[in-house]
Amino acid sequence: MMKIPFFLTANWWISLFNRNKMKVRDLPDNLRIAALTSWRDKERGLAVFAGVFLASLVITLVLIYGVGLSQAFLEESIEQTVFDSKIEFKSAPEQGTTGWTNDTAILQQMCDEVILRDEFNDCTLVLGKSGLHSEISWGNDAAFYASPLFMEGIKSSNTDRKWETKDLWDYEYTTGPPVVNIRAISFLGPEAFDGVLAERLSKNIIYEMGEWKTHEEVDNQRGIYIPLDIASAAGAEVGDKLDTLTFTYTYERSLPGAMEDEDCPGEIIEGEEYRLMYCQVKMSLQNVTILGIYEPWPQGNPVLAANPIYTTWTLLSEEQQITLIDKDHVYLGITVDRSLLPTSSISAAEDWLNVISNDMQKETYDNGNVKIFYVDIISGTILWLEFVLGFVQVFDYILMIPVVILSLYLLIYGLELSLEQRRREISIHRSIGATADKLKGMVLFELFVISSVAWVAGYILAFFAVPIILSSVGFMQFESLDVDINPVLSLGATIFTILATLGLALLFGRTRTKAFLEMEIDEGVKKTAQSGKPKTWLHVLMLFVGTLGAIDTYQELTTGGTGIISNWFLGGLINIFGPFMLWIGGALLLSRLGAYGPKIMLFFFKRTPLLSDVKRGLQNTGSSESTTRLSLIMILTLSIVTLAAVQGYTGSLVDERTADLQIGSDIKIYSTEPMTSREIEETIVNISSMDITVNALTIPMIPLESEDGTDVNAYVLMNGSEDILKWFPQAIPGKDITEAISAYENGGFSAGSDMAFSLDLEGSGRFGDSDDKLYKASDKESEVVNFTWEKTDYVDTNLDPNATMSLEQAFAYYTNIMNRNWSNIDLSNQDLSNRNFSRTDFSNTNLSGVNFANSNLNESLFFNVNLRNANFSGADLTNTIFVTTSQNIANIDFTNANLSGAYSYYDTNFTSPKFDGAICPDGTAQNEINNCNSGFSENPTPLLEPVFFPASVEVQITPYQTSIRYIGIHEFIPGIATNEMNNYLIINEQAYRELVGNQFVNNLRATTWIVDIDGLNNEELQVLALLIAADSRFEGADDWETSHENVERNGGIIFGTQGLFTLQYIVASAAAIASAFVFLSLVLNQKKKELAILQAIGASPNQIIRLVLFEILSIVFFSMFLGIILGMGLSLAFNGFFNIFGFLFQLFSGTGEEAVISRILQWPWWVITQVTVGVMTVVVIALVLTTRRALRADLAVVLKGE
Amino acid sequence: MQLLEVKNLEKGFGSKTFNTRIEVLKGVNLAIKKGELVALMGPSGCGKSTLLNIIGGLLPADSGKIELEEKLNNNLDGDGKNGNSNKFIYGTKKPNKVVNVRRKGIGWIFQDFHLIEHLTALDNVAMALEISGFEQSEAEEKAKTALTTVGLGDRINFGAEQLSGGQRQRVAVARAIAGSRPLLLADEPTGNLDAESGSDIMKLFKILTKSSNPISVLMVTHDPNLASQADRMLLLKDGVVAASDIKSAWGLDKKGEK
Repeated sequence: MMKIPFFLTANWWISLFNRNKMKVRDLPDNLRIAALTSWRDKERGLAVFAGVFLASLVITLVLIYGVGLSQAFLEESIEQTVFDSKIEFKSAPEQGTTGWTNDTAILQQMCDEVILRDEFNDCTLVLGKSGLHSEISWGNDAAFYASPLFMEGIKSSNTDRKWETKDLWDYEYTTGPPVVNIRAISFLGPEAFDGVLAERLSKNIIYEMGEWKTHEEVDNQRGIYIPLDIASAAGAEVGDKLDTLTFTYTYERSLPGAMEDEDCPGEIIEGEEYRLMYCQVKMSLQNVTILGIYEPWPQGNPVLAANPIYTTWTLLSEEQQITLIDKDHVYLGITVDRSLLPTSSISAAEDWLNVISNDMQKETYDNGNVKIFYVDIISGTILWLEFVLGFVQVFDYILMIPVVILSLYLLIYGLELSLEQRRREISIHRSIGATADKLKGMVLFELFVISSVAWVAGYILAFFAVPIILSSVGFMQFESLDVDINPVLSLGATIFTILATLGLALLFGRTRTKAFLEMEIDEGVKKTAQSGKPKTWLHVLMLFVGTLGAIDTYQELTTGGTGIISNWFLGGLINIFGPFMLWIGGALLLSRLGAYGPKIMLFFFKRTPLLSDVKRGLQNTGSSESTTRLSLIMILTLSIVTLAAVQGYTGSLVDERTADLQIGSDIKIYSTEPMTSREIEETIVNISSMDITVNALTIPMIPLESEDGTDVNAYVLMNGSEDILKWFPQAIPGKDITEAISAYENGGFSAGSDMAFSLDLEGSGRFGDSDDKLYKASDKESEVVNFTWEKTDYVDTNLDPNATMSLEQAFAYYTNIMNRNWSNIDLSNQDLSNRNFSRTDFSNTNLSGVNFANSNLNESLFFNVNLRNANFSGADLTNTIFVTTSQNIANIDFTNANLSGAYSYYDTNFTSPKFDGAICPDGTAQNEINNCNSGFSENPTPLLEPVFFPASVEVQITPYQTSIRYIGIHEFIPGIATNEMNNYLIINEQAYRELVGNQFVNNLRATTWIVDIDGLNNEELQVLALLIAADSRFEGADDWETSHENVERNGGIIFGTQGLFTLQYIVASAAAIASAFVFLSLVLNQKKKELAILQAIGASPNQIIRLVLFEILSIVFFSMFLGIILGMGLSLAFNGFFNIFGFLFQLFSGTGEEAVISRILQWPWWVITQVTVGVMTVVVIALVLTTRRALRADLAVVLKGE
Repeated sequence: MQLLEVKNLEKGFGSKTFNTRIEVLKGVNLAIKKGELVALMGPSGCGKSTLLNIIGGLLPADSGKIELEEKLNNNLDGDGKNGNSNKFIYGTKKPNKVVNVRRKGIGWIFQDFHLIEHLTALDNVAMALEISGFEQSEAEEKAKTALTTVGLGDRINFGAEQLSGGQRQRVAVARAIAGSRPLLLADEPTGNLDAESGSDIMKLFKILTKSSNPISVLMVTHDPNLASQADRMLLLKDGVVAASDIKSAWGLDKKGEK
């Protein structure tokens, strides 16, 4: 094994040269002869060529794929950054020190100097986030000190706009250390409005929502650019004139507690985590105009504040500019010429950036008066990539092992055949006195010539193939890649491909030739090739272990249990190695069976006219080694084709299903206020400028009680859901969607598997299980169950004669003075955090599991609400009113909430709420001793003063009942991507109406809507979703296409996996066709004599062709059949492997809360049939051609032979 | 009546344009009667095998004509009827146009036996019959008869690989005669056999040619002893048949005879 490095040493080459001076001189002649002989015996040349070519193609492809992948990753991620690096002063400006300037002319002059370097192509002076002045690293708190310019507020005379919305300017920076979560503003220089920077900044401006203008226009119109989320929350539009824009700059920073109010001319704010203190001073701009709204970038490197308000510093007065620079809110934002960034590998890019960084760090400007600190922004991004990419590549390499093995096998087998064919030639050379060395040299030289050509061809082709593979978004589905891929392979990697193909071919050729020549010497004693007995026991063992793995996975898939192997370590090992063992062991064993194809087929056809006259010629065939090999190669290739098609197709489908599950239909919409379906539909039609049809559906939830008193929650499937939702069989009981929906509509309900267990219902199987059935009314498993919904009313008794009004009147009075009506809707499990709900009427609304964190609920009314598992942490609950029954309150989180003055009319016993850090209703701060045990206030809130009514109140519960029939187990409803569906029922609209009444259902309002839109293509849908999200009536909108793209690129199994499957599929199909051609020629060549004999004894050409076609076709056909079977087993075995990786990726992407689409294998028979038919066609054509050639051969010569 | 008549057969190899043309047969004429055992001799490279290949329909001649009597249903059914006589006329036709000559006219026996290695003796013989259009059962019966005729009745189910050289050649003979072909062409039939096996084959030829339903044999040989056992000997020299009996073939008494 150590021979390979020796090949590479200089000594070896020199000694080789000295030894072979003569040979070198003969080289051109030898080359010609080698080329000639290899051309003459095309079959063996072709076999070697095919092997080396394929090995070279695949190995190079896998390597370049890795490079291309890192490029795509790199480019996609830096696509999200505006500034690639920044220059700040070496140390923070302070009066009386040197090394900095507040002269904007000098600073702009610095920019001009900076872009003289080739690596940079744009630069602008920015007034924004303050400097770091040192590397960000662990333990360095500079990152916490650097504060952006914070937005303080906007004043507009337009009263339609909601610039006063509470927490409008709160913005959480998720990628960096927790500094202060306030929206930033960034003042750009004139250079940012043309050139590269303008290109990057204009990219995210939303279509039809303004444009990135020239600096002159921005300056004249006093323009600002705001992110979509701000625009949506404030209801702002392009062209809005704003009276004042106020922001704050940091006057001074200090450690916690080290700053006093009198030191600060402004206001002191504290940082999130470490409570650093920032003294913020206000500054204002007058009369600005919104010129554009941009789609927020994903938050990237935290060196700069993400998604700020953009404008230009020429709007600031000179005095303001100088103040900001003096206070360090200044940097030069620089763009790197990305076309120069070496993208061959991540480390190359890093090295390149480091060189610039080191150079720049030494620079000074303005004749040494300005000392700078250079901050590289891209390399931070790259660091994270390296980690993700390493993981991705491991997966990809493992995935490609079968194809690499296949190509190496082709190579080795091609070599063996080539030697076998030269046997005669070698013996002749030998008899005329050629030495063993000379013969070896001759063989190896020919091998070298063929292999070199094959290696180059494979190597070059791989470069063209990679961009195509990277652009695949699904199995055999390609979409143009929006990044530029220009993969280059390093010298080391190139040498590796040479060693792994050419080197291996020569190494193997050398040993085989040596063995072959030794055998020739012994020919006197007629020593035959001792190819060694096949190690059947080993093959059987491998097949056994592999099959065990496949069965284990199958069991896990169908039963959801641990499978047959309960030891997790053993199970894991088998999951990883099993597939490969199954593949190799199975192929070796099955190939012997495949070679018996003719015998088996003969059994069926021997009495037919097709074979009656030639059948005898087929007896005892198939034992020859060449037919076994032909069979093996067909099994190997077809099993990979099947594996790639099945897993690729399954993966594509899983991606689509995941998007279906997340969105439910075309768009999922969250409205700001509760709306009816009619309102939603009309609003969307108005927002869109196109002619569209809109159907909106909401999925309400209702708490029920079963006959035996179990509490159950049910989702309601409204009529029309069949057309609106993107259903698929995994969701519903059974497999037929139309049947399932009509079963629901005819009074059926389904249960999640856990709920079925609680209700003692016959649990049918989950999807993929043969027991996953839709129960008919006649089935014994189907039973009719009674469910009760309890309507709660509050009735006053013993009303005090002095009371001003009755309970009903008080309720009517109070709801009347509320600002918002959120009554009678289902908000369960919704995220309503950070919103303003002051004076909102939540009466009779389902708030279970709702998230109100940090929301303003000041003076709101919670009358008869379900508050189980509600999250009120950090919420403002001053003077809110709670009137609810104790069964509707459990697990409420009041951490850090302000409950001062919160009033509970009815004696509410809050079961174990969390009050940590809260302000109690009596106004005291929570501590361990009191833990707010004083309870809720019994004094009416200020708003309640006029409605004092001393009376006792009774809760009156009216039960409504419905009887519905159990139809089976569901897994989820499209659009409700939660794994809690296991614990829910799904009931139909009719039952819902019976329970809550027609009037309520007819006016059903909700904030979450799943919308089906006709008349738009995918891109138009994406635009519509953005338009909806930007509308102030909506909180947000997610469209299917965007969700699908995210899943494809980041979710599913992983970015590029589908490309690898496509690659495997194409390579294996090509290998199947090519090897069929090559090996057929070889097999036929070996049969040439037999065919001539048959002709001599009277066989007609027709008989010969029938004989050959039948024999070879039945081997090929039978082997392909076995290959497909093996491929199916392999797909199953690999599924366990994919599940492991899929799980790991889910850990990273953090989607663990969502329901998971089962990786139920799809069998794309059509795709497999295409390949099978394709290979068969090629085989038939190749056979007819070669057989005809054999028929035309000079019979006399062939028979004279030897 | 002649069984085989070869008239003015010419055959050359190579290209005239490149001046590499060699005329091998320059107008061969010969005739063989029914039941005749004829030896064909001549120096190496004189065209013996070429002539045989052309007669056997494995190689087309450049010009000339071959007429071969075909036996149709010659007592095949054992009903005593005489078959209709017909003639194959060929010589310049391509090998795949003279399939019927090889099926019904001529049986081949090669120096290397050329059995199908993966088949048994019986299958080798029966296969040839089935290819020619015999039904399976009839083919097997005829094959058994033929194998018994050549003295291999006890080895019909032996694989070709299990047989000795002499036995293999007998199987080849059985394959050639099983279809009641009127003419056997044997190219050095004993070349790969030891002396004893060789003379066994010759005895077999003699029996076949002298049986009640005799066939003819045209045999290429270098061995004068074998040739001397033939009824007649042809000498191929300078592209023509130079002599048609043993003595003249050996250049003896040329003048005396005339």
